Amino acid sequence: MKVLPLLLITISSLFAATAGAQDAGQIVRQAEKPFIGNKIYSVSEMTVYRSGSARPTQVVEGYTMDEGGRSYSLTLYLEPARMKGTAYLIIDNDLWVRFASTGRIRKLSSSAKKNSAGGTDFSYSDMGDSGQGIAKKYQATLENRDVIVAERKCFQIALTPRTGQEDTYEKLVAYIDQQNYRYLKIDYIQSGAVIKSLTFSDYRNTDGRDYPFQMIMESHTQPSRTEVVTKRVEFDSTKVEEDMFTISYLQRIQ
Amino acid sequence: MPANKETRRMRMLGAWGVWAAKHWVSALLIALGITVLLGLGLSRLRLELTYYSLMPKDSPKVRDLQNIVETFPAASSIVVVLKAENSADRDRARQTITAAVDSIVVELSRPEYAASIVRVQGRFDLDYIREHGLILSKKEDIERFQRMFTDLNLVPLITHLNDDFEREYSGNEKKLSEEEEQTSGQLEGLGKIIGLMSAAAADGNGRETDPEELSAGLDQFIFGSPYFLNRDGTMAVLFIQPAFTINDLERVVAEIPELEHIIKNKVRTLGVTAGLTGLLVVMKDEIITSEQGLGISMIIAVVLILLLMILSFRMYSAPFISGIPLLIGILWTAGLAGWVMGRLNILSAMYMVALVGLGIDYAIHLLTAYVQEREHGLTVAESVLQSVRKSGPGILTGALTTAIAFFALQVAKSQMVKELGIVAGLGILCELASMFIILPALLGFRGSRLARKGKSDSELLRRVGLRYSWIPVLGERVSRRPAIFAAIMLAAAILVGTQAGKVQVEGNIMNMEAKGLESIELQDQMVKEFGMAPDTMSVTETNLQQMREIEKKIDKLESVKTVDSIVPYFPSPEEQSLRAEQALRFRRQILALGPDETLDREQLGSQLQRLEDNLLEMSDLAFAGGMDKLLDKLNRLTGRDATGEKIAKTDLDRLILELETNESGSASGLIRLQQQFVPSLQAILLPMSNPEAIGLDMVPPDIRDTYVSSDGHDFLMNIIPTGNPWDENFRSVFTNQIATVTERATGLVLVADQMTEIAQHDGVRAAVTALLVIFLLLVLDFRNIKLALATLLPLCLSFLSLFGIMSLAGIKFDFINIIAVPLLIGIGVDDAVHFNHRYLLEGKGNMPLVVARTGKAVLLTSVTTIIGFASFIPSIMRAMRSTGIVLSIAMALAYLFAILLHPAVLIIMAERLGLNIHPWTSRRKK
Repeated sequence: MKVLPLLLITISSLFAATAGAQDAGQIVRQAEKPFIGNKIYSVSEMTVYRSGSARPTQVVEGYTMDEGGRSYSLTLYLEPARMKGTAYLIIDNDLWVRFASTGRIRKLSSSAKKNSAGGTDFSYSDMGDSGQGIAKKYQATLENRDVIVAERKCFQIALTPRTGQEDTYEKLVAYIDQQNYRYLKIDYIQSGAVIKSLTFSDYRNTDGRDYPFQMIMESHTQPSRTEVVTKRVEFDSTKVEEDMFTISYLQRIQ
Repeated sequence: MPANKETRRMRMLGAWGVWAAKHWVSALLIALGITVLLGLGLSRLRLELTYYSLMPKDSPKVRDLQNIVETFPAASSIVVVLKAENSADRDRARQTITAAVDSIVVELSRPEYAASIVRVQGRFDLDYIREHGLILSKKEDIERFQRMFTDLNLVPLITHLNDDFEREYSGNEKKLSEEEEQTSGQLEGLGKIIGLMSAAAADGNGRETDPEELSAGLDQFIFGSPYFLNRDGTMAVLFIQPAFTINDLERVVAEIPELEHIIKNKVRTLGVTAGLTGLLVVMKDEIITSEQGLGISMIIAVVLILLLMILSFRMYSAPFISGIPLLIGILWTAGLAGWVMGRLNILSAMYMVALVGLGIDYAIHLLTAYVQEREHGLTVAESVLQSVRKSGPGILTGALTTAIAFFALQVAKSQMVKELGIVAGLGILCELASMFIILPALLGFRGSRLARKGKSDSELLRRVGLRYSWIPVLGERVSRRPAIFAAIMLAAAILVGTQAGKVQVEGNIMNMEAKGLESIELQDQMVKEFGMAPDTMSVTETNLQQMREIEKKIDKLESVKTVDSIVPYFPSPEEQSLRAEQALRFRRQILALGPDETLDREQLGSQLQRLEDNLLEMSDLAFAGGMDKLLDKLNRLTGRDATGEKIAKTDLDRLILELETNESGSASGLIRLQQQFVPSLQAILLPMSNPEAIGLDMVPPDIRDTYVSSDGHDFLMNIIPTGNPWDENFRSVFTNQIATVTERATGLVLVADQMTEIAQHDGVRAAVTALLVIFLLLVLDFRNIKLALATLLPLCLSFLSLFGIMSLAGIKFDFINIIAVPLLIGIGVDDAVHFNHRYLLEGKGNMPLVVARTGKAVLLTSVTTIIGFASFIPSIMRAMRSTGIVLSIAMALAYLFAILLHPAVLIIMAERLGLNIHPWTSRRKK
């Protein structure tokens, strides 16, 4: 007699947990839709603020592609003049850099993906994974249904790394707008503390997607933040070609 | 029975008042006796006006911190920040700064300062590294060394240097950033070496290279710069270990200003400016600015209040009659505080100033009633008797409610709030006692003097004294339209109160210090210029191996800039053993090397081109990563400007050209250089590869004394953060990350957390307790729950409005001004209490009379209280200033609600709704 209530409670809890987990996954998938795509081309302006002072704004072209189960990403710097011609090529966990000043190309270790990209508060990993969505490497759990962020009611979703994934943070906490499933903020947690936060704003409809044209990554360990303003973004863009994601292409850059 | 009880109490006080007025000499002698007795407590009283002294002594982290302060005196360092006056020319600025550092170190190391200064460190001590460099290096660094110095001749050396740059830094901005300091120094050394190579290559006369120049260049290439410089080399820091710690407050206040004076005097002719920072200096500033603030506040408060007394009571003697018992009351309070607690903290010291405005209230009520009775033609003694009878109940109830509300602060968790509660409660009781004991005697003294001289009250002051004729008019208006007044005040409170929930708590304790303090501003500058804060967290350990494990983990945390301890200077025996083998191999390798007689000119040229490419790529990374110090060095080496454009020919350019053209027989010049170069480099590398094991006694004393306790049992680790630990947001990240490694980290920055905790919890706890206690007292006093609740209404609305105004004005709560909350509860209810007593005495329909009779006293008491608190506003210490603002607003609101709302509510309750507000015992009698 005592077993049955216990069993019922256990099953209910599992069901609730599963239902909760499915909800979280669905919410995240919905939020990820604008970011997931193939052959994404973008032009962005990135400005790093250190101790309140702005560094020279970087203008970058981004190309991403998913092909044959591999992810490709090319970032090409257009401005400032000092960085014009610098490029980063990421193919899965491999990373190459082309130096504008010498034209030489270096392969970096995969651990370098965690390093700051171009002195910004984004890592190479943060930038290179953008075509696959932010949460691809993570599993989602709903922590709270009603949290207010930027005066909007949000879902608070905890994202923990899936087994076997590399280049991940200890945990991400995403705040997704309940009404329109927009990412509003993501907290990046490492060693028990939120080390940086990414906020999204200026959402616009582009190619049928609700895309944030402004993102700000604020570091909580340094007096620094990076503002990224997207000038242009194209999905399934004809500007993205397969041969861009090769060493020989890097060699051809002027 | 209550009525009898009240009459008996008043009879006793009245009897004393009359006796004191008639026998004023005896009464004053009694007061003198009490003063002497309590005054002895003053000798036991200390002023502890620092935030450090507010820390809860029973906290394990505070005990750890105190242990660190006592066991590791070097933990209390003074940081001297130097800045070159002319920073446009970076080379010159750097020379000026380093010369200034050396000069100050020499000056402060003189025997005449030995009593104050244990040690001054302006540069890193390289001798220990020279003698044990490889034993002190990690395995991977030794391997790096071995690769780089496989062959000390110029061509292979430059080749291996290129390999090293490409392996370590190429594309690795993080590594470059972590080693920016070291790499910058090495690049300077490299620049000097290339300069010597260029000179040698161009020299057709076969002159020898200056051996000292060569040694200096190699030294810098291997060891980097020993000075602690900022990103562009225009600022430097020195560390002074004083002969006192944060526990020696008197020495802190006396000796730090002297040191500051000596240093600033010294640098006047050196082309630099100097400033001091670090915990000891901030503490000194806290004490001095607090004392200045309190002193000025006390004077302002006393002068303004006594002036108000003259104008209000039209007596020149009003300041003496009210001021003498007021000041004696403060003396009694200080004396009692000395007996009971032995110290005044920053909160209770501020309260002593506020007591000027609080204690005078009793004098105002007594004098108001006295003057009214004298104006009706009564004698001095009769006037004293009546004034005690009529204003006595209100004074007693008000004082007791206030005192008990303060004593109720014992429910607080923090020691500082508990101490404030005791001092505040005692202060009220002492002022009450002082007024009742001394004031009637002084009135009697004055009366007898005037009678002897045949004089009456001053005609002049009758003409110029303050008039309060608007008060009865206000009373009439409120009585005629109570509902309108009640509605307006309620609406105003609700309107402003909608913002109440948005009021914030101050998260950065440094924002509470005096603005513009150099010691505080330099903290932020250090974070900006040196990438580190002068204030750290610390951990002590008795097990050195355990410390090594902890250090490895903490060093990887994102919020940690670096970790300082004995560990890098004293590797474990196992590590030393492994490294000794490597060092021995390296030593043999170096010994076997010798200078070549030949040099491949083309190969060297090619490697120098490759070197230039590596330097350019490093400069790309430095530019992108904001590593300005490194970028500056790299631009100079490669002849580029900030945008990367080639603007100048460099030694590297000239050397490459020489090698290509070979006009001066470059190879022969370089071979000659090589003959000196190899032995010079060997002379540096051989001692470094000393495989001898290091004992703790071999570690230099300045390092050992800093990180090892005098008995050798404890080891200290300092964790230097990447940001300002006083900033609440950064501190949360910093402490949370460290907590994932160890719970034992402590530091004065934790004070900030505990103080914020106090502001958030103790303030609320104290307020709730005070409110409950006051309510009970009101019920006991009035024996009517409806009346007690109505008395609390103006208080509650004052709070709501206060929080709303603070939110709108951007004033934040902190652990100092949060004390406004229980203070407001204790004091703010008094005005309504006085109205209640007078209304019950005068009866229904007589509210205009109540307001007329009580209004002046209530106004004066509110104004004097506001003056007492507002006297903090001119203080340069922001914590005091904000407390003054918050309390002044609070008292003003309490008055407005008491005079505009409370009479209206009483009329509505008793006369319009017919509710019974009389004591339930009187109802039973009827």
